[in-house]
Amino acid sequence: MPDVPNLTRLERRDTDMKLTYFDGGEFTVTYDDLRHSCPCAKCAPLRNDDANSKTLRRQVEAFAPEKPQVRPVGKYALGFEWKNGCSSGIYRFERIWALANNQDPDNGKSYVHGAW
Amino acid sequence: MADSPVSTHNPNPAAPSDDASPQQQKQMESAYANMKRKMSMQEIGRKIKHKVMVLSGKGGVGKSTVATGLALSLAQEGHSVGILDIDITGPNVPKMMGLDRKRLHVEQGRIHPAQGHLGVKVISMAFLLEDEDTPVVWRGPIKLGAINQFIGDVEWGELDYLVIDFPPGTSDEPLTVAQSLPDIDGMVIVTTPQDVALLDSRKSITFSESLKVPVLGVVENMSGYTISGKTSPGNDIEIAGPGGKKHKTTADSDGNFNVTLDIFKQGGGKSTAEEFGVPFLGALPFDPGFVRGGDDGVHRIVSEPEGASAIAFAKVVEAIKSQIGSSKSQGLEII
Ligand SMILES: Nc1ncnc2c1ncn2[C@@H]1O[C@H](COP(=O)(O)OP(=O)(O)OP(=O)(O)O)[C@@H](O)[C@H]1O
Ligand SMILES: [Mg+2]
Repeated sequence: MPDVPNLTRLERRDTDMKLTYFDGGEFTVTYDDLRHSCPCAKCAPLRNDDANSKTLRRQVEAFAPEKPQVRPVGKYALGFEWKNGCSSGIYRFERIWALANNQDPDNGKSYVHGAW
Repeated sequence: MADSPVSTHNPNPAAPSDDASPQQQKQMESAYANMKRKMSMQEIGRKIKHKVMVLSGKGGVGKSTVATGLALSLAQEGHSVGILDIDITGPNVPKMMGLDRKRLHVEQGRIHPAQGHLGVKVISMAFLLEDEDTPVVWRGPIKLGAINQFIGDVEWGELDYLVIDFPPGTSDEPLTVAQSLPDIDGMVIVTTPQDVALLDSRKSITFSESLKVPVLGVVENMSGYTISGKTSPGNDIEIAGPGGKKHKTTADSDGNFNVTLDIFKQGGGKSTAEEFGVPFLGALPFDPGFVRGGDDGVHRIVSEPEGASAIAFAKVVEAIKSQIGSSKSQGLEII
């Protein structure tokens, strides 16, 4: 993760989170974007094709607004616990950084289950 | 029905008089069994304090050696430890734990683990095989069902650590285990310093994101081979290592020297870990004693508890423990 600055502050707001990085950079990521990009084995394959991805998006947007519980995963990632919907994905700081910068967190790669 | 006084001239003998058809009854029974299993998994989750998965992208990099080594190293420190060998096609944990040709011990529908070196409890698919030289070819769903059964029906008792060893090159087993067993602390990814193995470890790190199981870190196995010898005190030594690389050293005042040769290429595990921002847990030396231990059933950590390999394992164990303990991102304020 060479060029991702350290995340120093995460403020949960009603519909998005405000992220502050070590170099002072501030970003917002909406919960919809966050949840749509869930890297878990159930959600990620849905983004492989546009139609499913849109369905996932609509599902995510249909949830009643809520603030997630944020749980650090080791020292390299965060997990988000929601009352509704999927809480499985582990978001590496790299993924969160991509979302903050409006980049494709999947890096244009489609998900292959257990690609090894 | 045979004793029934009622006429047997039933026009539809397949239809039972009960409300549920045999098929429905079967479904109910299997739903009940699943529920029971789920509850027992929850209980297993509670009774076992820490669960650690050992994975690798590539086969033969030393997962089973590392899994058994970690279990023994933890046991050496006085923890109660179990090891679950999920490898169905080539389970070799029992051999490494001195439990060759053990059979499964079942009592009142519960599977009881065998006790290996240092009291480590062992459950392996090998205990199910009639003849270990004939690998069982399990089809997907049966295999995963067997894994669930193995997790749900084993009587581990109270454990500090359960180490889970996986087969190489597949993806369903870790997913099944991660979905069945609650609160897994994380996975240890084993790699060797070769480029192919490293490439595959990168894939497994990515894979972990999808499992809700954190990566505890990367272990580099077969890292370097240390040779030692004796000469006159203060002598300069020059040794040609693999690839013609020269290693120089000077003997100490007693004439002892040792030189670590790169069998493959050291440091790849560390750089892969850095690249992904996951912890590097340490390197384990190339030690032919592991191979012997695998063959004669006495693990290196047991045959040489103070040896270099045992010390290296203890360091990796410390690193894993500190990862398990420190589930907070330093310096991140969450509000
Ligand atoms: N550090 C080491 N030094 C020397 N030999 C080693 C070392 N680690 C493992 N080996 C040897 O390499 C071989 C493969 O190791 P092991 O069975 O642990 O790998 P594995 O990843 O579990 O394999 P598989 O993918 O088939 O499950 C064994 O013969 C083992 O003794
Ligand atoms: Mg193995």
